[in-house]
Amino acid sequence: MKKILVSTALLAGVLSYAGGFRVSLQGVKQLAMAHTSAHAEDASVAFFNPAGMSFIPSKLSIVAGGFGASNKVTFQNLNTLQSTSTDNPLGTPIYAAIAYRPLKNVSVGFSFTTPFGSTIEWPSNWEGREMVEKLELKSFYFQPMISVKLAPWMSFGASYIYAKGKVDWDKAITQFGGEININDDKASGHGYGFGFYFRPDEKLDVSIAYRSPVDMKAKNGTATFKFPSASIYPLLGLDGAGQDKFTATLPLVEEYTIGLTYKVTPKWLVSADFNYHGWERYSKLTLDFANAPIGNQADPTVLVAPKNFRNSKTFRLGTQYMFNDMIFGRLGAYYDESPYTDQHFIAETPSFNTFVVTGGVGLKFKEFGVDIAGGYAMPQSRDVKNDYLGFYGQAKAQAFYFGLGLSYNPF
Amino acid sequence: MKKIIISTIAVSALLVVTGCKTDFDTDVKDIQVTKGDADFTKYISLGNSLTSGYRDGALYSDGQNESYPSMIAGQMKLAGGGDFKQPLMPNNVGGFIGLPGFPGKLTLQVVNGSLSPVESPAAATLDNVSAGRPYQNMGVPGAKSFHLVAPGYGNIAGLATGTANPYFVRFASSASTTVLADAMAQSPTFFSLWIGNNDVLSYATNGGTNSQTVGGVTTYTAATVQTGNLNPATYKSNDISDPNVVGGSIKAVLDGLKSVGTTKGIIGNIPDVTNIPFFTRVPYNAIALDAAKAQTLNTSLYGPLKSALTFLGQGNRINPVTAGNNPVLIIDNKLTNLSAQLTAVLTAGGVPASQAAFIGNAFGQARQAKQGELMLLTASKVLGLDATTNLPPTASSVFIYGASFPIGDQLSLTSDEVNSIGTAVKAYNIAIKGLADTYNLAFVDMNAKMSELNSASGISWDGVKYTATFVTGGAFSLDGVHLTGRGYAIVANEFIKSINAKYNSTLPQVNPNSYSGVKFP
Repeated sequence: MKKILVSTALLAGVLSYAGGFRVSLQGVKQLAMAHTSAHAEDASVAFFNPAGMSFIPSKLSIVAGGFGASNKVTFQNLNTLQSTSTDNPLGTPIYAAIAYRPLKNVSVGFSFTTPFGSTIEWPSNWEGREMVEKLELKSFYFQPMISVKLAPWMSFGASYIYAKGKVDWDKAITQFGGEININDDKASGHGYGFGFYFRPDEKLDVSIAYRSPVDMKAKNGTATFKFPSASIYPLLGLDGAGQDKFTATLPLVEEYTIGLTYKVTPKWLVSADFNYHGWERYSKLTLDFANAPIGNQADPTVLVAPKNFRNSKTFRLGTQYMFNDMIFGRLGAYYDESPYTDQHFIAETPSFNTFVVTGGVGLKFKEFGVDIAGGYAMPQSRDVKNDYLGFYGQAKAQAFYFGLGLSYNPF
Repeated sequence: MKKIIISTIAVSALLVVTGCKTDFDTDVKDIQVTKGDADFTKYISLGNSLTSGYRDGALYSDGQNESYPSMIAGQMKLAGGGDFKQPLMPNNVGGFIGLPGFPGKLTLQVVNGSLSPVESPAAATLDNVSAGRPYQNMGVPGAKSFHLVAPGYGNIAGLATGTANPYFVRFASSASTTVLADAMAQSPTFFSLWIGNNDVLSYATNGGTNSQTVGGVTTYTAATVQTGNLNPATYKSNDISDPNVVGGSIKAVLDGLKSVGTTKGIIGNIPDVTNIPFFTRVPYNAIALDAAKAQTLNTSLYGPLKSALTFLGQGNRINPVTAGNNPVLIIDNKLTNLSAQLTAVLTAGGVPASQAAFIGNAFGQARQAKQGELMLLTASKVLGLDATTNLPPTASSVFIYGASFPIGDQLSLTSDEVNSIGTAVKAYNIAIKGLADTYNLAFVDMNAKMSELNSASGISWDGVKYTATFVTGGAFSLDGVHLTGRGYAIVANEFIKSINAKYNSTLPQVNPNSYSGVKFP
């Protein structure tokens, strides 16, 4: 009865709502089941909840995988009748994790993931080129972790996050007839994660996890200006190559997750997840240039762009059926809420309320596992009404994902 | 249990999928541009410099190609509009060799380490392109409302006496014709009319003065705010036109067009001219002084001057200066001229006679500017220069323009003058709106749009923010009065919106960001 209530509540949420530059591609098995989290079958649980490591059946587990993520965004301006589509390259998030249980109640592990990232590429002559021509964001999370079994049915785990990242942003400065590139491939930040994993009953897994925000600090960024003539460089305080230094902080947000997996029969399980993302932290982006007075603050070298993101939610529902000891079939669907309203739609990280259907097949050969997964996204078209930027029109997108994962559970 | 879960998944999937709108209701590629109740087959535009595409202090071909009527005509073509021909200048610099007052365009150059607009020499003598008539862009730089109906405005012989305009001389069909007559001869199906700015603008840009040059010496006298005088032939060039003259002239244009069957068009009102960078660039308190300089000035000039003026009952004209920003010294022609009295008092106070005479002469109608009074962009050319040499000051310079010597009357607008301008603009706009209603024409409130441009938030378009800030605001060209291609695109869009609203057409707007702004060196 309780479960019915839970699923009904989830549905109500799904119907009302669906972000940002977060990437929900950290486990191929998980993606096939709507990227749900309460699966302690192998080390891929590590990113989702370190505590899950304590419930991995084997003592040593190694996983690795990769995805292809393809998406295209189209913007149309109803005033000028212009229409533009992005020409984004294929995104390739990857992950790897290892979990080992040296003591009966203690597990240690390491997870490598790319949980945030986005590459958007608009035609360089498109109408919004002053906002973005190309933006590439990348993040790499390196997470050592430990999990302790507090009771046979409960564990606690915690991780430290070291994040490295890259920002590479081209946009036009049309007033000067030029362009600017904002680049830092040595941005870094720190964070942590922790969680509890419960198995109160053989049929039920419950995962509760928190991953902290990480402030990716670009401390030594380079802004490269390109103008038709170099004579303006000295006036902007740029060096002979048209370059200036900048600092900025890009927030990678916190995430709260509650996940459930229920084994309806020994062969069939159903999972549900609820994620809450703290995007509200991304209220503005501040670029602090060393010399260039191209800002909009009292200190003219400081440029502040309002972002006004809001916290967002994701609802996930997935299932797995075990056809035999070797073959697993998986299906799922999730609803991902855009972290901003139409009034704050931005072209550099376009975002939509998105419904995604997922599926996949898993093959198990004793200690080896091979999994494939795919996802088809249906981002809802939306009205763009950004007064601050004077950016008006409609936007739509299409996206699909596919992934291949390997697992090795020798003992 | 199983069934409940399965059905829950099924129902939720179904509901979400059907509730998902992933595509656009209407793709812009499928939208047909329509003319509505209007007929755009022959569109002509009437107006002044703003209509001609004038910018950077000159009319030149690149600017003309980005005139707002040309942009509108481009969009009209999508709805059956015809060709739109403009009387293009023979080069991309502008100006007329041999005609004083018509230099080539301004360009931004690095001068002494900072950017400033520099005038180019005129590039060609006055040409005549009347053989290529008819032209659909009939905007004539410098035209006032009554000039559109003035015979001989295109007569080359009238240039010397100031009754003709070289820009109209270029394409007028005959010496005696009027702008209106040449427009009527085309029997347009649609017109735009934006006129009246110069009826008040030339007063404003000349600081409320008329000038006269005799023997190389130019003197400035107060221009007249005309009211009750309905004969513009008696106006001096920088007088403010009587609102009835403006209204009457526009009415004559509308009647003329109506008489050839042209009843559909759009008319724009005029912006408060004081919202443009030409008047907002230089603040009233542009004189920056440190404490030591302020004290020196107070001791050597402001103190004695204030005492003398106080003795003459006019002590409020001058106040001591302080460290920081101080008001500019200006000439106010409404003040009683106290030159002789000042000289006498200063002499009596022990100031050497020649110096007393110099100060008395210079400060007879001088006072410090007040908040709300406007310094003209042209004032920036003299502010801070040595008043006796017109060169940058040296250590021995005593009289500095703005700080210790008043700038000329033609370089500032006093509150009185600002008020006269505001009153005239208001009256013109009431007349224009009334005529738009009477003649059942589309109306575009350019005054409101220009105020929006002059607000702190400006106008944003696809991430580019346009403001009325000089040079960096992006909307105004280097003359501080006329727009850039991007600014004209903002204007074109306002016209297009009003045309669509009135005539149920669906002309698309243009993208301002795709036109040219200020060119940096």
